[in-house]
Amino acid sequence: MNCVWRAILAWDHSMGRHFLSRAVPGHSPWQPEGSCLLQGLSQFPRGFCSSAARLASDSKQVPMVKPSAVSTKALEPYEDFFEQASGGQRDKTGFSRAVKAFAQRDMRKRGHVDFIYLALRKMPEYGVQHDLAVYNLLLDIFPKEVFVPRNMLQQIFNHYPRQQECGVKVLDQMENYGVMPNKETEFLLLQIFGRKSHPMLKYLRLMYWFPRFKNINPFPVPRPLPKDPIDLARHGLERIAADLSARVTVYQMPGPEDLGANPSQPHIVGIQSPDQQAALAQHNPARPVFVEGPFPLWLRDQCLYYHVLRADLLPPEERQEDKEMGPERNFYYPMQLDLDLDRGPWDDYEFDVDEVEEGPVFAMCMAGAHDQATLAKWIQGLQITNPALAHIPVVFRLGAVGGELQLSEHQEGQGQHNQEREEQVSPKEDEEEPSQAQIRHQGQS
Amino acid sequence: FICCGLRITPVNYSLFGTLSIKLSKDIKIFKDVFPYPEVTLDELNDMKQFVIPVEKFFNEEVDSQKIDHDGVIPQETLDRLKQLGLFGMLIPEEYGGLGLSHVMYARLGEICSQDGAIAVTLAAHQAIGLKSILLAGTEEQKAKYLPKLATGEYIAAFCLTEATSGSDAASIQTRATLSEDKKYYTLNGSKIWITNGSLASIFTVFAKTEIIDSDGFKKDKITAFIVERNFGGITNGKPENKLGIRGSDTCEVHFENTKVPVENVIGEVGGGFKIAMNVLNSGRFSMGSLVAGMMKKLIGKTAEYACTRKQFNRPLSEFGLIQEKFALLARKTYVMESMAYLTAGMMDSPGFPDCSMEAAMVKVFSSEAAWTCVSEALQIVGGLGYMKDYPYERYLRDSRILLIFEGTNEILRMYIAMTGLQYAGQVLRKKIRYGNLRVAMEHVSAILGDSLNRKVSLGLTGRDGVVHPSVEESANRLEENVYYFGRTVEVLLRRFGKTIVEEQLAMKRMADILINLYAMTAVLSRSSRSVRLGLHNHDHEVLLTNIFCTEAYFKNLYNLSQLEKYSSENLDEHIKKAAQLVLGNRSYTCAHPLERIF
Repeated sequence: MNCVWRAILAWDHSMGRHFLSRAVPGHSPWQPEGSCLLQGLSQFPRGFCSSAARLASDSKQVPMVKPSAVSTKALEPYEDFFEQASGGQRDKTGFSRAVKAFAQRDMRKRGHVDFIYLALRKMPEYGVQHDLAVYNLLLDIFPKEVFVPRNMLQQIFNHYPRQQECGVKVLDQMENYGVMPNKETEFLLLQIFGRKSHPMLKYLRLMYWFPRFKNINPFPVPRPLPKDPIDLARHGLERIAADLSARVTVYQMPGPEDLGANPSQPHIVGIQSPDQQAALAQHNPARPVFVEGPFPLWLRDQCLYYHVLRADLLPPEERQEDKEMGPERNFYYPMQLDLDLDRGPWDDYEFDVDEVEEGPVFAMCMAGAHDQATLAKWIQGLQITNPALAHIPVVFRLGAVGGELQLSEHQEGQGQHNQEREEQVSPKEDEEEPSQAQIRHQGQS
Repeated sequence: FICCGLRITPVNYSLFGTLSIKLSKDIKIFKDVFPYPEVTLDELNDMKQFVIPVEKFFNEEVDSQKIDHDGVIPQETLDRLKQLGLFGMLIPEEYGGLGLSHVMYARLGEICSQDGAIAVTLAAHQAIGLKSILLAGTEEQKAKYLPKLATGEYIAAFCLTEATSGSDAASIQTRATLSEDKKYYTLNGSKIWITNGSLASIFTVFAKTEIIDSDGFKKDKITAFIVERNFGGITNGKPENKLGIRGSDTCEVHFENTKVPVENVIGEVGGGFKIAMNVLNSGRFSMGSLVAGMMKKLIGKTAEYACTRKQFNRPLSEFGLIQEKFALLARKTYVMESMAYLTAGMMDSPGFPDCSMEAAMVKVFSSEAAWTCVSEALQIVGGLGYMKDYPYERYLRDSRILLIFEGTNEILRMYIAMTGLQYAGQVLRKKIRYGNLRVAMEHVSAILGDSLNRKVSLGLTGRDGVVHPSVEESANRLEENVYYFGRTVEVLLRRFGKTIVEEQLAMKRMADILINLYAMTAVLSRSSRSVRLGLHNHDHEVLLTNIFCTEAYFKNLYNLSQLEKYSSENLDEHIKKAAQLVLGNRSYTCAHPLERIF
């Protein structure tokens, strides 16, 4: 009786519904107690809704089975086999070659589950973790039609649980890397496991959610990210600027020899919108502007650093109000209603928000180097389009390149700026006016 | 109970202004629009005599197709127009003009409209070009310029628009600087899309001047100048290649160190804004009759076609869908004609009433009617209308400008709604002074009253009514609309207060309702007069009136429901959101229908 009960529970659990197991508190059906007809099936007693976090631990539990001695070579672990078969190429070709070599070397595909787990682990190493074709290739290793349940009972119980689990793991990794399966995947899964199987269920779930989430990001990052640093910087800057009118300018192209760590001519890419240009033109030359940075920006797994040209917030008494909408503004109709009634509270949908006022940002740039000389070139370039900048003192407040941690430090204490390198330098130092603490830039244009 | 809305007369004496149900019988609210304004028999005979040669000239001597094709009005045509005195229609007789009243001007405009290019040339000359001299010029300026302008020896142009400044006065860049000896101004700047730009010898130019205001601060204000071409430094850009009114002369005008004597300042220094606004406001009323003239001609042509062209052994005129189009043409023409002459008549009434709002309503209604009607007329003749050999496509191209110039219809709707609201706001303010409790009580009682479906009567109909019984039902509909419109406006003002200016969608709906109300009033007034006088085919007028009023009544009801906060017709929020999505991306955002993800 116990066995039958357990069988029903196994079915219940494997279908992802836990009505029955929940109904039996304190009794875990999965503890292997006593012998039972179904023991063979419950040897691998995991639900199939396994999470990604378990991937590593699972694969460790898988015993490293040595490949069979069909080949004339000495016994070797799959790890070495993989290395050998890939021919030392750490890319897609090498990976596919290794997988194909495994598929061809033994008609019975002995040890394929272990090989697939290994291959899954190796994927990031070979940089193929986003490649759908490779996943399909991996699935193709499974022998076809062997694991397809042939009757009701097989369907109800986990038919070939280890293989099914392995199939699910492949799909799981696809899910984690955001790779959407295609028709070929479905066809393979049907051939290998049949329609009523856990990998197929996983596939269906993937296909339910993935399309719905695929375009949910309103600010998509291109995949793959461009390799060219200028293109990358362009993407990054357009992302932060969030203004379709903003124009990206390449102030300096990288020299051909600059691929090294310390380029002599780093790239400088800047962005500025017409609004920012107008704001800079109206900036009071008595107040300095600051070049600050570098601040990190992550695009997927790439960290870029950007600098901003900004000014302090004007004190309230100096703020110029927007040109007032006087009665003599519009030739065609008065734009103000002479009425002392305000908007009623029921129609006022403005939230009461305390807005932190910040100083204006006039331009942003990304450069190959974060030193002052490079950034001074950017300022020089900006002066061509912003003649007013020639008369405004520019203060460089540059921190060290760091991760996010340094950023938060940077933002927390304004006083720390002073401890960092704060220098006031003009691009053309020979035109320095010694009487002034801050150096005026002469127009370069 | 107070009903706010349309203001018809300048003195705070309004059509739909303050009126209470109790008092409505005492107040003659429709005083200025009922009866329909008339001209005396002598004036009418004068007018007819005057109209005949002009009509003859336009029918026989003007080759519109050639003007459109060549993109220029031939000199001999211009000379004939000058001989006929058409360049001085609005100039008083003492300065050598014809000194026509507004009604007469509207009547002549009807004929001039047969050629769009000529109509626009004439309008740019006298409706706006020299209007500022007429309105605000000194005696000396008038004596110096008007006689030559009246004969057409000088042609005038109105220079306001700049590349950076359409309706925004603050962004005008043209600048006039006073010389050291304070004898002349130096004018610098460029104006674009100036009608008559290369023909004109006299320009009315609006430029920024620096003045010192009462607080001693320097300020830039707009000043109007009369600039003669021979002051020097005036150059023209090449003629613009336009969609319609191709014969009219439109180009850029550049002023480079043009020296303008101080005597040529119109009005006072810094008073240019008001002058510009007045000129623009006064120039619009004639568009109604202009379009009506064009439409009458088109109706004749298309009716001829529809009655002779046979398909399936039946003339087109027997098909319902064609008949519907003719009913539309006749109705719209009738309405715009009524509005135009009502407005012109009011402008001629003693005391120079300010009818700028009514003029704007006429302009919006007639320009939109022109576009739909010409399009429908073209549809009646079908493929023929698409061909350049026939005039229909030219009329279509010409009429497109009507929606744009003299203030775009969008901006004029804002003007109409703002002017109406300004008045309604004053009324509301008076009401609020009574104190809150009383206002609240009145509000509740009014809502109760409305829910009992009280009949609204503003005194148009009934025993002492001004409206003829044959259009009584339409008049009742107008009254009901007026009443509920007043209520809606009041609610809107309470909801939004002065920030209603930002609610452009609501403002547009209000303007649409106001235009319909004014149109209904105009046709009711005109048809009542026609029936009582027994004019030719007055039963036809009654029919058109009733059709239009019923149609407008339901449109108004729909608009009113769109103005309600929680009604399902009110889609304002959704519309705004949809637009913001598009504008945020600066493109059409939806994925292609053939797009797929897997």
